[in-house]
Amino acid sequence: MYMSHRRKNRQFLRLLGLVVGGLLGSIVFAQGVGGGGYSWHDSFALFSPSTLSTIDRTILFHIRLPRIIIAVLVGGGLALGGAALQGMFHNPLVDPYVLGVSSGAALGAVVAMVSGIYFGLFTIPLFAFSGAVCTAFVVFRLGMVAKRIPLETLLLAGVAMGMFLSAFISLGMFLAGEDLHQIVFWTMGGLWGRGWMEVRMVVFPFLIGVPLLFSFTRELNAFLLGEKVAQSLGVDVEKVKKWLLLFVSLLVASCVAVSGVIGFVGLVVPHLLRLLGCEDHRFLLPLSFLVGGVVLLWADTLARTILNPVELPVGIVTSIIGAPFFIYLLRRKKREW
Amino acid sequence: MVKELLSVHHLTFAYSGDCVLQGVDFTLHRGTFLGIVGPNGSGKTTLLHLLARLLPLQEGIICFEGKEIWRYSHTEWAKKVAIVFQEIPTRVSLPCQEVIAMGRFPYLRRFAREGEEDERAVQWAMEMTETWQFAERDFGELSGGEKQRVMIARALAQKPTLLLLDEPTSHLDVLHQLEVMQILRALQREGITIIGIFHDPNVVAQWCQYALFLKGGRVLRFGTTEEVMRKEYLAELLEVEFIEHTHPLSLRPFFTPLELRKRPSRGITVHLICGGGRGIPFVRKFLEAGFSLSVGIVNRFDSDEELAIQLRLPVVSEKPFSPFSEESLHHALHLARKAQWVFIVPTYWGRGNLLNLELARLLLLEGKRVFLLREGFDPRFDYTGGEARKKLAELAHHGAQVLERVEELWEK
Repeated sequence: MYMSHRRKNRQFLRLLGLVVGGLLGSIVFAQGVGGGGYSWHDSFALFSPSTLSTIDRTILFHIRLPRIIIAVLVGGGLALGGAALQGMFHNPLVDPYVLGVSSGAALGAVVAMVSGIYFGLFTIPLFAFSGAVCTAFVVFRLGMVAKRIPLETLLLAGVAMGMFLSAFISLGMFLAGEDLHQIVFWTMGGLWGRGWMEVRMVVFPFLIGVPLLFSFTRELNAFLLGEKVAQSLGVDVEKVKKWLLLFVSLLVASCVAVSGVIGFVGLVVPHLLRLLGCEDHRFLLPLSFLVGGVVLLWADTLARTILNPVELPVGIVTSIIGAPFFIYLLRRKKREW
Repeated sequence: MVKELLSVHHLTFAYSGDCVLQGVDFTLHRGTFLGIVGPNGSGKTTLLHLLARLLPLQEGIICFEGKEIWRYSHTEWAKKVAIVFQEIPTRVSLPCQEVIAMGRFPYLRRFAREGEEDERAVQWAMEMTETWQFAERDFGELSGGEKQRVMIARALAQKPTLLLLDEPTSHLDVLHQLEVMQILRALQREGITIIGIFHDPNVVAQWCQYALFLKGGRVLRFGTTEEVMRKEYLAELLEVEFIEHTHPLSLRPFFTPLELRKRPSRGITVHLICGGGRGIPFVRKFLEAGFSLSVGIVNRFDSDEELAIQLRLPVVSEKPFSPFSEESLHHALHLARKAQWVFIVPTYWGRGNLLNLELARLLLLEGKRVFLLREGFDPRFDYTGGEARKKLAELAHHGAQVLERVEELWEK
């Protein structure tokens, strides 16, 4: 009987290899895209940096490459967070921002911009990160009823908190004066001008959060059978929920801090993978991470070339493509999830 | 080794002040099958959830293998006790063997892969439940009964000592119910202790060794099914009267609930003269049409008599296989006088029961309205050499009305 089990594992490894290959290919391709065109020479310059002129090296290694890495990490983090939370709540409409992380981060960024506090390039990301983590914590506490975390109260607390914070964001915009465009751009979600410093900022939470989330795949599978069954299988349900919310919030907060609010990747990517028949979290989580990375990389590559020389905020691209695609998926296959 | 597997002492539980369980006590031995029966809201599910550690203890003690249940770690506990719920998970599209393999959760360390022992456990669980045939099929595509078997297999993959079931069959049709119950019996033979909540007292009577009656959060009865499964106890538990029969195959008791007694709507009492089981369809017809009934004279253990007793109808009976005595005639006369009408069921006539026609004649003379059916004159009913038919004709002559069908009475 376990023949098929092993076969499935092999299938998964093959798929994983395919996606990793796709990711690497996308990175190499994206490396060659710039200035409204594609140059294969730029793509393959990755492998022979010594032949480049100084200016080319700066463009390729200090502008394009870190941005590509940020896109992959942010896309992966959002999709992984979405997959974990959707599984935990057994609800397809949950996105990684349920805890109000996005509005918290936005408010943090707005505070930094309006107050004029500045202590280096990482001021805004740091404020955004703090805002996101604090909001997640408050929503988490508000959503807790008698030491348990029911989905409904958590969602409502997240929505209420988001509205509350939005009012302050609007207030910030109103008072911002000439900083207004900066705030507006930030909330649209974009990756322009992100460099190695931002990569260094997110890499640490990723190194912790991603493997820890991967270690919860069996618990998440047990959640598929309902919380009561999971508990009877020996899963410490409430504790697992708290850990998952903590890791996802950290991961997503660090994504939002460097990229602003990018919608739909965290919602659509795991959903898409489920519809393609990947419901087992042992496979779903790694695939969500990789596919999320690929998707955001392509979206960002599109965003920075489609209206050359203007660069679009990538959040606009993901929403313009993501929302109709999501509706299409919903209409096509209503029975599941 | 402690003799009892499970002991429950003074278990009391309340949801925000509403007492759901009050002082529940019982002990259970290894390898037994206990059925819990009780009306809705009696605390059955709460009890089971407390046993499964899905609810925290408030008052009382539950010991499993001599140790307080909350002193086991989460995974230790999941290796000993598994539970199957009434609700079947929806929106799960995994191959069944993956669902069943989830039962190995407590045995696997965080990053460990399934080993040979896990495979053996899953294999065994599939064999016990006969789920191997859809091992690779998508759980979401199975029928309700198949899904429930997969859920039982998932519980078995935990290799539990105690298996708890919360109404596992209530969403299933008869065939799948029987399949599930047969699986449970086989598991009990394997030495697994089973506690199940069942809606239907007959399921408990058929399949369980022990029964626990729960009502208003208290244990009403607890003991072997022979001791506890009695119609008077069931009536007390479920507030419905039951008729007890013997199950034709298992020879265990089998209970049929009686219809809730409706108030006779017509206000007319009919005295039935019947016997030989011929009265049964007429009793039903009269009751359904809203008449009150009295019956007599019938022989003891005649099926007409048994029916009348079970329906608690007033009845005058004579000793078995005995001709009717004058004493019985007096009793019957007394009883029938309270009725407005007398109805003579087309039945067999012999020397023993001819006195019933005498009864009818006396009542007719007293002015009672007496009815009989034309088919009652059929010579095949007459084992008195024509005497009964003669008497019937006499009755008709003296004013008893002859009907074609009993339903003609409904218009009167």
